[in-house]
Amino acid sequence: MRILIVEDEPDLLRSLAQALREEGYAVDTAPDGEEGCYKAENYDYDAILLDIMLPKMDGWEILSRLRRVKKTPVLILTARDQFRDRVRGLDTGADDYVIKPFDLPELFARVRALIRRTANQATNVIEIGAVKIDTALRRVTLKEKAVELTAREYALAAFLAVHRGEVVTRTQLYEHLFDENDETLSNLLDVHVSNLRKKLGAAFIQTHRGHGYYIE
Amino acid sequence: MIALPKSIKWRLQFYYGFILLGVLVMLGTQEYELERGQRFHHVDQELQMRLDVLTVALHIPPIRHDEDEPPFERPPPGEFPGPPPGENLAAVAQYNSPQSVGFFDPTHPEKFYFVILARDGRELARSTNGRHPPDPREISRHLPSGNTILVGASMTADWKDLRLATMKYVALYGLIFFVCLAASSNLVSRALRPIESITEAAAKISGGDLSQRISTAETESELGQLATVLNSTFARLEAAFAQQKQFTSDAAHELRTPVAVILTQTQTALTRERSAAEYRETVEVCQRAAQRMRKLIGALLELARLDAGQEQMNQLEFDLSQTARDCVELIRPIAAQRGIKIDCQLQPTECLGDAERLAQVITNLLSNAIEYNHDNGEVRLTVQPQGSGAILSVANTGAGIAAADLPHLFERFYRADQSRTAAHNGLGLAISKAIVEAHGGTLEVSSAEAEKTTFTVRLPWVAPDWRFDH
Repeated sequence: MRILIVEDEPDLLRSLAQALREEGYAVDTAPDGEEGCYKAENYDYDAILLDIMLPKMDGWEILSRLRRVKKTPVLILTARDQFRDRVRGLDTGADDYVIKPFDLPELFARVRALIRRTANQATNVIEIGAVKIDTALRRVTLKEKAVELTAREYALAAFLAVHRGEVVTRTQLYEHLFDENDETLSNLLDVHVSNLRKKLGAAFIQTHRGHGYYIE
Repeated sequence: MIALPKSIKWRLQFYYGFILLGVLVMLGTQEYELERGQRFHHVDQELQMRLDVLTVALHIPPIRHDEDEPPFERPPPGEFPGPPPGENLAAVAQYNSPQSVGFFDPTHPEKFYFVILARDGRELARSTNGRHPPDPREISRHLPSGNTILVGASMTADWKDLRLATMKYVALYGLIFFVCLAASSNLVSRALRPIESITEAAAKISGGDLSQRISTAETESELGQLATVLNSTFARLEAAFAQQKQFTSDAAHELRTPVAVILTQTQTALTRERSAAEYRETVEVCQRAAQRMRKLIGALLELARLDAGQEQMNQLEFDLSQTARDCVELIRPIAAQRGIKIDCQLQPTECLGDAERLAQVITNLLSNAIEYNHDNGEVRLTVQPQGSGAILSVANTGAGIAAADLPHLFERFYRADQSRTAAHNGLGLAISKAIVEAHGGTLEVSSAEAEKTTFTVRLPWVAPDWRFDH
């Protein structure tokens, strides 16, 4: 899952990005409105955390521009706590509104809920045959036994599980599993897929020749 | 003493009614007295005439039918015509006949009557209608013979007329009284109606709804003017409240971000064991956030004290150009980092006030002039006397300020570009303005976009509203 944070307070931006990376997300950052708007419009993020008071272009403007081209889930993260701002935010097209200061566990839960809703999932647990993926605890079990996965392997399994039934292209996988700072090697993905098949069973991930991967 | 209701309307009504009633009662009494006087006068005249007629008749000697009666002796000339020796009582009989209707009506007990009484009270003669009617009015005359002639009439009909007239007057005046009272009630109500709407609006305002205003349909009357004055007071009150509310909300907003930084940083750090370097970074980030909060809180408190006029300021004579020179020396290294040149034109200028606080203003203006300048730009600082006061200006090259932003520049937390940095919390100019105004001076800004911005401080020698002597 890849997330964009648009926030002008450098310390907050850095610590939020770190916290989300430790939660297993690929995180892009934008320190001002213009850059945030450019990234939001040009990449497919799984969620965007958007501040409102930004230099160069404010959050309202970014949100309304983005909504003309994309349905990316947006969580407004702002110190503006006024009732009319919350209403305006949600009405402009935001999917959630969190007021600073916030508690990280709650923010994480809201981000998970956002991604879950976009994928039409009701709960955090996805069952695929004998494999269960708990996206809240970030834990994978095979026949009720816990399976140790690396962060990247987990991210791959979770992304495919969320998009269950769809063929996910390699480009999509690269876009959603690696952030702008990752040095991606073209065969890195194949290594992760092969590791996952070893750990969760060969049939867990299907290959659609010439297109990509999918989970039934 | 009757306790009057406190309402102005009822008091006015009461006094008005009281006075009106007094006037009407006086008028009515006068009218009644006049009427009664006229009637009595009329009756008295009639009685007097009849008395005269009777008196004359009594003194006409009886017509003689036999010749042996001595002739009437005339009194000797020059003597007072003495009274005749006796009255001719028979002569009055003619007035006691039915033929005398209209003069004495013997058949009518309530019309004019007469009695002639002897000295001892005996009735010598009388009209046939008798003497004792209800409500008699009588006049009498003593005759030289010692007899008394008495003429009277019953006033029953007159009293009846008077009573009727009185009733008519009471009814008429009563009607006038109530019509006037109703009219005045209407007038007073209308005159006092603005008070009701003032009370209503003030009650709603005291209930917390500051958007209420008094409807001022008629602004000409005294109450209309009062309502207009109150409305403008309410408007200023509302604006002040809104400003205060905005300020509080902005202050909370500014404090939220550093708190968010601290929470995010610490909660992330605590999820697992970290290296010493990571912990160190967390602590440093938290420290920066806390410093920023401390600065903001300090600025907020300073503004609050300036607002309340509680900030103690010295009132000493000093040279403003020297203060400005000190500020420039302190800030020059920061300007030098960006290659910005500070050009000073400082004339010795005596000033009265708090040098330290004014230095704070100059430093703030200078650091803004450097911050919003382009690299290798220029800052021009001038100090010179003007009249009995002083004028200080700070001009800088740079992007300038958009005309739309100029009027808001001194508002608390206003930022033309919405960005927020740790160095600027959006209160600097508001504090500078408050300090200059506490000296009775003004702080103004003018800007040509994309060229230069000039801040001008004007200080009078003595503030008209001197706020230092607390």
